[in-house]
Amino acid sequence: MKITEEKIRELTLKAIEELGQNSSAEAIKLAVEKAIGSENVTLDLVNEKTKSTGKVILTSFGLDHPGIVAGVTTALGKANCDITDLSQKLMGDFYTMIVILDISNSSKSLTELQTELNQVAEELKIKVYLQHEDLFRQMHRV
Amino acid sequence: MQYDFEEILETIKMTEVEHFDIRTVTLGISLRDCADRNLEITKQKVYEKILKYGKNHVKYAQEIEKQYGVSIANKRVSITPASIPFDSFSADEFVEIAKTLDKAAEAIGVDYIAGYSALVQKGFTNGEREFIKSIPIALAETSRVVSSVNVASTKAGINMDAVLMMADVIKETAERTKDNNSIGCAKLVVFANVPEDNPFVAGAFHGVSEPEVVLNVGISGPGVVLNEIKSAGSVDLQELSEVIKKTVFKITRAGELIGKQMAKKHNIPYGIVDISLAPTPATGDSIGDILKAMGVEDVGAPGTTAALAMLNDAVKKAGLMASSSVGGMSGAFIPVSEDQGMIEAVIKGNLSIEKLEAMTSVCSVGLDMIGIPGDTPASTIAGIIADECAIGMINDKTTSARLIPAYGKKVGDFVDYGGLLGKVPIMDVRKLDSSGFVGRGGRIPAPMRSLTN
Repeated sequence: MKITEEKIRELTLKAIEELGQNSSAEAIKLAVEKAIGSENVTLDLVNEKTKSTGKVILTSFGLDHPGIVAGVTTALGKANCDITDLSQKLMGDFYTMIVILDISNSSKSLTELQTELNQVAEELKIKVYLQHEDLFRQMHRV
Repeated sequence: MQYDFEEILETIKMTEVEHFDIRTVTLGISLRDCADRNLEITKQKVYEKILKYGKNHVKYAQEIEKQYGVSIANKRVSITPASIPFDSFSADEFVEIAKTLDKAAEAIGVDYIAGYSALVQKGFTNGEREFIKSIPIALAETSRVVSSVNVASTKAGINMDAVLMMADVIKETAERTKDNNSIGCAKLVVFANVPEDNPFVAGAFHGVSEPEVVLNVGISGPGVVLNEIKSAGSVDLQELSEVIKKTVFKITRAGELIGKQMAKKHNIPYGIVDISLAPTPATGDSIGDILKAMGVEDVGAPGTTAALAMLNDAVKKAGLMASSSVGGMSGAFIPVSEDQGMIEAVIKGNLSIEKLEAMTSVCSVGLDMIGIPGDTPASTIAGIIADECAIGMINDKTTSARLIPAYGKKVGDFVDYGGLLGKVPIMDVRKLDSSGFVGRGGRIPAPMRSLTN
C-alpha cells in the first residue's frame, strides 16, 4: 500500500493526541513509525511517484499462443494502470510485446506490479520485465 | 511509439543476457571526525557513523534494482584512509579499529569495507609506520576489511622504503592467511597515483578532499562490449572503435542514472561514475575474450597491448561523453583470476607476467590478482611493485599491484577463491635477483613530468 503525506500528518496528530501534548519528539516519531509499520508500507515508496514520471516500460516475450495479450492487459487493467502505447511483433514462433504504462494512478507500487505480473507470466509461460522509463531515456536519448 | 522496438530489446538483451550490471554502488564515508585519544570511544564513533549513513545502503540498492531491472552486483562502503584520522594509534590499536570496521560492515550487510589505507608516496608519519605493520594481522583477523597503500605518484616519485615494506607485508599476509589460500593478499593493493574516488574494491577509499559522505558507482559490462564487437564483424579499427564507444556510452548512461537515484534515496551527494570494464569469472564476461574478438589469437599474442590500448581509450572517450562526473579508474581492468579468458591464456602458457606488465601501461589499473609462487623472495616482489610504480609515475596514470605469493604453492598450481575473486593460476616469476636495487632504500625522485606548475 502507498501512503500519502496527508495520511502521515493524520497519524502524527493521532499520536500526539494519544501521547499528550508534553510527549517528546522521539516518542511521537516512534508511535508514527509503528502505526505506519502496521499498515505494511515503506516511506520510500511515497516519493517514487513524485521524483520522475510514473512511466514504466513493460517488455514481454515468449512462444506465441492465444491469450497472452489478454492475460497481461487484464492484469494491468485490474491494477488501474494506464496503457499509453502498445506494440507487438512476431518473429517466427516468438512474439514480443512492448507496452508503455502510466502507473501514476495505480493503487499498486512498481514492486507490487512486478510480483503480480511475474505470476501472470508464469501461468502464460512467457517472460515479463517491468522497468522504469528513465533507464531507456538515459540509454537511448542524448 | 516513443522508443523503437530495437532500442527496448537492446536494453533487455544487455541486462538479461549479456551480464550487464552495475558492479558496485559504493558509499564513501568520512571518518575524520571519529578520532579520540581513547580507543574505545574511537571504535564506538566509527561504528556509529558507519551505521548512521550505511544502514539503508543495501535496502536502497535492492529497491533501485527492482525499479530499473538492472542488477547491482555489489553494495560496498569506503572510508577515509584509516591511517589519517587514527594516526596516533599503535599497530595493535589499528587492528582493533579494523575489527570494528569488520563488525560495522557485517551489521549493515556489505561484503567489503574499503579504506584500511595509507598514502605514503613521499614519506611516513609514525602512525603510518604502525599502520602498515598492522595490515597483515588486520587482514588475517577480519573478513570484510580490504586494504590499500599508495607508495608512488608522478608528483612525489616512488617511496622505495615503502615498496620494500609492502613486499614484506604481502609475504607476511600470505603466511598469516595460509589456511585460506593466502586470501589476505587478494584484499591488499599497492598503488601508484591512486585515485581518491575509486568505487572498486580492494582499492577504494574515501579521499581526504571528498565531502562528508558521497555515493560513487562503478559500472561493468565486458559481455555487452564483447557481443557488439562480435556482431560488428570484420570492420576496420576506426569503425570498431565507434562500436565500442556507442556501447560504452549506453552502459555509462545507465550507470549514471543508477548512481544519481541511489544518492537521491540516501539524500547525499552523488560523486562519480567509474566507467571501468570489470570482468567476472562468468563465461563471456571477459576482457580476454574481447581482445580475442578484436583479432589476436590469444591474450599475450603480439598486438595484445595495442588492442587493449584502443579498447581502454574508446571506453574513456565514450564515458566522458556520457557523463560529466567520470572518475575512479575508468578503463579496462585486467585481473587475471577474475577473467576466464585471462586464466585460459595463462594455463596455455601464452600470457606471462612480463606481457601483463606491458599491458598495464595502457590499461586502467595494474598487475591485478596475480598468483606467484609462495617462495618468491620479498625483494623480487618489491622489484615487481617498483616496475609497476615506475610505469604509473612516468605515464601519469594509476598503476597497482595485487600479488598473491600463495603460501606453499608452485608454478602450475591453482588457488580457488570462488565468487568474484575467481581462480588464481600461479605464474612463473623470473629468478633473477633484485635485492641490490630495491635494498638501497630512499626515494626514486619525481620525474620530469612532475614539473608542470
